[in-house]
Amino acid sequence: MSSKGRTGKTGLIFFPAFDWAISPTHPEREERLLYTRDQIFEEGLMDLPDIDEYKPRLAELKDVARTHFCVPDVESQVTEAHLIAAGSTLTLADALEKGEIRNGFALVRPPGHHSMRVVHGNRGFCNINNMAILVDYLRTKYGHKRIAVIDTDVHHGDGTQEIFWHDPDVLCLSFHQDGHTLYPGSGFVNEMGGPQALARTLNVPLPPGTTDEGIHYVLDNLILPILDEFKPDLVLNSAVQDNHYTDPLANMRFSANGYARLNEKLAPDICVLEGGYAVETALPYVNTGIIQAMAGLDYSHVREPDFVPGRFVQTEQMKREIETTVSQVQKIWDERDELVNDALAGAGDFYRRRKRVFYDTDMINESQEETVRLCPHCAGYMTISTQAQRGYGILNSAFCVSIPRGACSSCREDAKEEYEEHVDDRRIGYVLMQDKDLDKFKFHNNMTHTQRGY
Amino acid sequence: MLIGIDVGGTTTDAVLVDGSQVVKTAYVPTDHDNLLNCLLRALDELVVGIDVRKIERVVLSTTLITNMIAEGKTDPVALVLIPGPGTNPKDYNLGESYILDGAIDYRGREIDKLKESQIKDAASKISAKRLSRVAVVGKFCQRNHAHENQVGEIMAAALPGAKIELGHKVSGQLNFPRRAATTLLTVATKDQYKEFAGAMTAALRQRKISAPVYILKADGGTLPLDKSIEMPVETIFSGPAASIMGVLALTPVGQTSVVVDIGGTTTDLALILSGKPLLSSKGAKVESLLTHVRAFAVKSVAIGGDSVVNVAANCVAVGPQRNGPALCMGGTGPTPTDAMRVLKMTTIGDAAKAEKAMQDVAAKLHCTPKEAAQKVIDAVVEKIVSEVEEMFRAWEQEPAYRIWEIVKKEKLQAQNVVGVGGGAPPLVPLVAARLGAKAFVPKYAPVANAIGAAVARPTLTLNLHIDTEKGEYIVAEEGLTGKVTDRKMTPEQAEKMAKKLLAERAERLGIGEYAGEAEQTYSEVFNMIRGWSTVGRLLDVRMEIPAGLLPSWRRC
Repeated sequence: MSSKGRTGKTGLIFFPAFDWAISPTHPEREERLLYTRDQIFEEGLMDLPDIDEYKPRLAELKDVARTHFCVPDVESQVTEAHLIAAGSTLTLADALEKGEIRNGFALVRPPGHHSMRVVHGNRGFCNINNMAILVDYLRTKYGHKRIAVIDTDVHHGDGTQEIFWHDPDVLCLSFHQDGHTLYPGSGFVNEMGGPQALARTLNVPLPPGTTDEGIHYVLDNLILPILDEFKPDLVLNSAVQDNHYTDPLANMRFSANGYARLNEKLAPDICVLEGGYAVETALPYVNTGIIQAMAGLDYSHVREPDFVPGRFVQTEQMKREIETTVSQVQKIWDERDELVNDALAGAGDFYRRRKRVFYDTDMINESQEETVRLCPHCAGYMTISTQAQRGYGILNSAFCVSIPRGACSSCREDAKEEYEEHVDDRRIGYVLMQDKDLDKFKFHNNMTHTQRGY
Repeated sequence: MLIGIDVGGTTTDAVLVDGSQVVKTAYVPTDHDNLLNCLLRALDELVVGIDVRKIERVVLSTTLITNMIAEGKTDPVALVLIPGPGTNPKDYNLGESYILDGAIDYRGREIDKLKESQIKDAASKISAKRLSRVAVVGKFCQRNHAHENQVGEIMAAALPGAKIELGHKVSGQLNFPRRAATTLLTVATKDQYKEFAGAMTAALRQRKISAPVYILKADGGTLPLDKSIEMPVETIFSGPAASIMGVLALTPVGQTSVVVDIGGTTTDLALILSGKPLLSSKGAKVESLLTHVRAFAVKSVAIGGDSVVNVAANCVAVGPQRNGPALCMGGTGPTPTDAMRVLKMTTIGDAAKAEKAMQDVAAKLHCTPKEAAQKVIDAVVEKIVSEVEEMFRAWEQEPAYRIWEIVKKEKLQAQNVVGVGGGAPPLVPLVAARLGAKAFVPKYAPVANAIGAAVARPTLTLNLHIDTEKGEYIVAEEGLTGKVTDRKMTPEQAEKMAKKLLAERAERLGIGEYAGEAEQTYSEVFNMIRGWSTVGRLLDVRMEIPAGLLPSWRRC
């Protein structure tokens, strides 16, 4: 499903967090949505009968704990601004489920898609993953199973990908500027998910300089057909504006009109704003275009001051490169069942991976070992052992256990055992337990021997 | 002595106030076809036996503009828009308009130039249609007046004698379609309003009343009549504003009150929060047009003393239609007024006919007429209470764009339910009980509106926009632009500057003595960072003389 064909209003939450910044001169600062505010207010978009403005609410700490293992606890990793940004997406989810709106756009900051399952600090301007929190909320509260997350940020949505790596029911599809040339340096075609969920993570790296034409080629020839086959309950869009030709942190050639058209074709149920740092030259126009496209309004009058149609032309070589990537990803998708079968046939009872994660904003180095039981009866419980060092400062370590929705009794028992085994183990700082099945979360501090729950 | 006159739907009320005392009241039936005459008749009746030399101030609250718009008697206007990139102007449903090329951006920078030949072409089309009134409105032209000024000049030259109004002079706030609508209505009503003001001034002179004459605006403030011709649209909805100011005058200082005005067909609800009447978060809606006119948040609920009572599936439903007066007042069907008569909440009307009305309802509900009457009253009270609760909820849910506004938003509860208007006295205690508040029907409730007009002080708003990177400040409504040299101007300095500019504007509008009451109601400052350094600051300040009462009026 997508919002195509549904009638009703477009729900809009505009939360520019005019009193929050990472630091005064950081790209993620108060001013970021100022000109967007000026533009959409001057356009009078909120007054149009097709649009309904909602007030954001604070997400509950539990909504965060459902998605993230925050070390040492949720309160230390989030500020009110983060809870409001996450809460905005949940407010729209409720409005959508109640049938008040046909689709929604959370035009909020701070962003979230670089935040991974374990959170030691801020990476890529993100602390908690608004989109992933929305997905978990939609599944827990409204029982949705299959959800597609399309990440259209110029940076690879590595956080969202990591969180749903093992989940065959969440399709994470990201297109972005090639990781060889841009933060976070990942998102290659061969990153395609854990053994049970192969090809449910799909990455489309694009050459720097890709234009409207290139991105719409990917949309028409890859994304839309895959969505038709995946048949998700909901389509969500990590919507962003840094593919724009004026973005100071990236090198793509996408236009406001191209963005609006993308949202019209994709027809997402809910859009969540991520990055985009051309605060003057792109954001006011792109956001206006996206809102109009979502509300079914005419967006053909939206145009950047210096934009002339035909300004950017793709080279033949770029075109061929994009076509090759699309056919590679298409092949992975077509062979998805085979890929999963092969992977599981050769695997043992457990799947393990080691990872190093660098938090660029907070200068934290994390190393992780993740283990998932390849259980024939359920999604399998997961454990993550994590250690993080901030600069030369303190070392934080934690052991995390996650019980999936619909866990079988054996996985539940084993997971509990793992948790108990690590409680009060003096080599580990914190032990965290996520019971997604019962929607209960506990955090144990091994140094103070105290426990708290969400 | 102060005089307040309010033109209402059925009667025009006048009061004479001396200090904190209501000295005299008068009323005449409203003649909607001749409001001037009707105001003067009420005035004449009020001043019989009064020494007119002792009158210090006269405030009028009239439905002139409201009626003119509702009855489609406004003058035809050519709407000229410079929309620039963004929304298709057709989506605004502003009617026929002349679209010009040219664009200004959010910082007030020119993006596209105007085309002189296109403007002249539009002017000749306007001339061919024999339109002599033009509204020129450009997107973001409040941040740079050049385009509107230039189009205005070319139009003026091409259309001799035409009245031309520029958008930025009407409002400096963001929202282009609202500015267009407000400008359109301003031009469409200005001439007739001017005529009314002139006739009124002459009539007062004839009566040897030399006291200054003010007009009441939708935001509960007054403005000298001769200055108000610049902004006639601001006088719409002055009736509810008068009632609310009246309640403010008649209730204890600083409290939170619900104002309930129960009429025959509708009930008007308004809120006074901690002593401040609640303004609608955006401008007023005039017929189908959304405007920038600041107005109190008034909710009109389709329920009143004469609403139709229906019974369906053993349930009582009241309203929203009205089929004439109550049965006990000579009407045809059962109404809440009949129910009140049966329950002896009122003594007006024929008791036997009221009983008959409730017998019909009772038959369908299988109960006694008295029980039926109670159910009708319960339904009315329930409807009003739920609408009041919804108003508080809507106020709490107003969008906010800062963390502290979301985290710290207080919750308020009604302390008083204040009744004004004919139907209020019997029902107010019931509504108050449900809301856990005190019921209050002021002694002068029937003329609260005229009292409100008599003792309301002037209001004024000034929007100051400063862009220190451009080295410029702008007060759009004044058409004023100036230089600023300090790149690091602080919000405190901006506030000082706004205060001074407001005092100048107040002086020009003849209300200089109230400039000291001005307070900053909005302030924002943003550092503009390009690369890694601060290149300037954007500051926005709104300075306001808010709605309030004259200092001579002291409350109980």
